[in-house]
Amino acid sequence: MIKTISLEEAVGTQLAHDITEIRPGEFKGPAFRKGHTVCDEDLCRLQRLGKNHLYLIDLEADEIHENEAAALLAGALAGAGIAWENNPREGKINLCAAWDGLLQVDVQALSAFNLVDEVMCATLHNHTLVKQGELVGGTRALPLVMKRVAIQRAAAIASQNGGVVSVKPLQKTRAGLVITGNEVYHGLIQDRFAPTLTGKIEALGSEVAALEFAPDDAEAIARAIRAHLQRGCNLLLLSGGMSVDPDDVTRHGIRLAGATEMHYGAAVLPGAMFLVAYLGKVPLLGVPACALHHRSTALDLVLPRILAGEHIGKSELAFLGHGGLCRDCPECLYPNCSFGKG
Amino acid sequence: MQSFDELLDASVAAHGHLCPGQIVGVRLAMLGCRLIGFEVPCPYHQLKKLIVFIEMDRCTGDAVAHVTGVKLGRRSLKFVDYGIMAATFINLETGRAFRVISTEEARDLAPLYAPQEPDQRSQQLAAYRVMPDSVLFRVQEVEVELSPYDLPGPTRRKVACARCGQVVRDHREVIQDGLALCRPCAGGAYFKAAREIVWDAMNWLPQSQDLTMDSLENDAHLKDRPPRLSLA
Repeated sequence: MIKTISLEEAVGTQLAHDITEIRPGEFKGPAFRKGHTVCDEDLCRLQRLGKNHLYLIDLEADEIHENEAAALLAGALAGAGIAWENNPREGKINLCAAWDGLLQVDVQALSAFNLVDEVMCATLHNHTLVKQGELVGGTRALPLVMKRVAIQRAAAIASQNGGVVSVKPLQKTRAGLVITGNEVYHGLIQDRFAPTLTGKIEALGSEVAALEFAPDDAEAIARAIRAHLQRGCNLLLLSGGMSVDPDDVTRHGIRLAGATEMHYGAAVLPGAMFLVAYLGKVPLLGVPACALHHRSTALDLVLPRILAGEHIGKSELAFLGHGGLCRDCPECLYPNCSFGKG
Repeated sequence: MQSFDELLDASVAAHGHLCPGQIVGVRLAMLGCRLIGFEVPCPYHQLKKLIVFIEMDRCTGDAVAHVTGVKLGRRSLKFVDYGIMAATFINLETGRAFRVISTEEARDLAPLYAPQEPDQRSQQLAAYRVMPDSVLFRVQEVEVELSPYDLPGPTRRKVACARCGQVVRDHREVIQDGLALCRPCAGGAYFKAAREIVWDAMNWLPQSQDLTMDSLENDAHLKDRPPRLSLA
C-alpha cells in the first residue's frame, strides 16, 4: 500500500525510492537514495526537485518494492557471462559482460518478457561483440510497488532458456587460409586477401596457422583444403572464385574436399556470394572478393558467431537480410551502425 | 500418462482438424491437470473428482474436453459463454481450483518463436509447440462455489414449470411471483415464437426402414415453410 504525505509530514521518515535529479547536460542520477531519512535540511532541495509530496510505503504480503523486483528480474535475465550488482539505482539494474565475447540475446524470450505489464529490459543487439565490463542491458520494474506474482512470472519467462542475455567467449582457433585465383597463384598480381583475412582473424583472438595458394582448379583447391585439415586447422577461410564466372571453381573444390554441408549465398550486401560449408565439424568460410574493397562484409557478421561456436546454416544466412545492407558511409562506423543488426 | 504428441493426435482426430487452438487447448489441459495433481488423460478415479469450466466454444475448448475426458452429459464439463480463452480446473477432492488463461501476447510472439514459417497460421502451429507455459498462459488460483445441484450424480431435484408443465431438473427453475417457471416461460429464452408441429413418419422407430432425404424434402408438413433462423 502506498500513502502520499506532504513534505512537512515526511521529516523523519525514510524515502521509499531514489529521487532523481537531472541537470541538463551536466548530471542525471539519484539526489537522494532509497532509505534516506528525510530531515529539515532536505526540504528545500526536494522542493527544488519538484517534490512537494512523498510516498510512504507499507508493503502488503503479496506486494514487492521496485528494488527487490529489479533484482529478481536481473537474476532471471542474466545468463552465462553476465554480471550485475544488486544495487539498483533509480530502480534500475545494469547487466554487464563478465568477460569478452559475443553477446547472445534470446530475442523471443526478451520480447515475451517485455510483453508482461510493468517490467522492461533493453539490450544491445544480438551478436554484438562486447568487452568485459561493458554494459549490455538494463532492467527495471516500472511502478514503485507491484504484485510479486507478476514479477515472478516475468522472471520465469526471462529464464526460459537460462537467461535472456549471455556472453559467449570466442574460441581461439587455428585458421587455415586458401587464397585461390590464377592471377595470384602465377604471380600476375600481389595477393591482398591473406593480410586482410589475417587481420580480421587476429582481431578476434585467433591465429592463422597455415596459408596455401591455389590456382583456379577444383582439384588443387580440394588438395589445399585437405592439407589444412591434416595440419590441424579447425577453421578454414577460402578467398576468391566465389562468383559466377567460368573460372570460379572454389565451390566445386570445397565439394571435392568432402564438404558435408554447404550454404552459398548470404542475405548481406556486401557479401551476397558468401559461403559457409562444413567438413565434419570444421567450418569453412568462402569469402567473396568484396572483402578486399569494403571494410565490413558478410564475413564480419558471421566470423564472430562461428568463433562463438554457433552453427551457421541456411536460416542464419537468410535471417541476416534485415539490417544486412551496408550504408557504405564515407567513414565506416561499423560496428556502431545498423549493419548486421536486424 | 500420454505424451503431448499422443494427446494432440487424439484430440485432432476427435475435433476434425489440426489448428493452433488445438495445440493451445491440449497444453492448457495438461497444465490445468498438472496444477490440480491429475494425470492426462484423467484415469477414471480422477475423472470422478474433476470439473472443468470452459469459457469459450472454440477449437481450444474441444481440445481441453478431449484431453481431460470431461463431458457435458457427465456434468464434469461446464460451458460458460465468456468468449475468453480460459478454462478452470477443479479438484473436487481437495477443493483447489486453477483458472488457466491463454495469453494474447502469445499470438504476437508467434513470428519470433517460429521465424522460419512463412505465414501466420504455420507460425502459430510451430510456435505454440515451443513456447514455454509461462509465455502461453497466465494462471489464477480461484475459488468456485459449486452448488450440490451442479455436481455429477443422479438428478437431485425435479420441478414442473407452473406455466407449461415442462419438468425442470437440478434447480434450474426460476421463481417469479412465487411460481416456479422453466427458463423459457420466465423469459429470455434463446428462441422465440415456438409453435408445436406434426411431421410425416411420426411413428418412426430405430428398427424402421431408414428414411431418405427425399422423404424429408417431400414432407407435407415441413414443405413451404419459410426458414426461421435469423442471424442478428
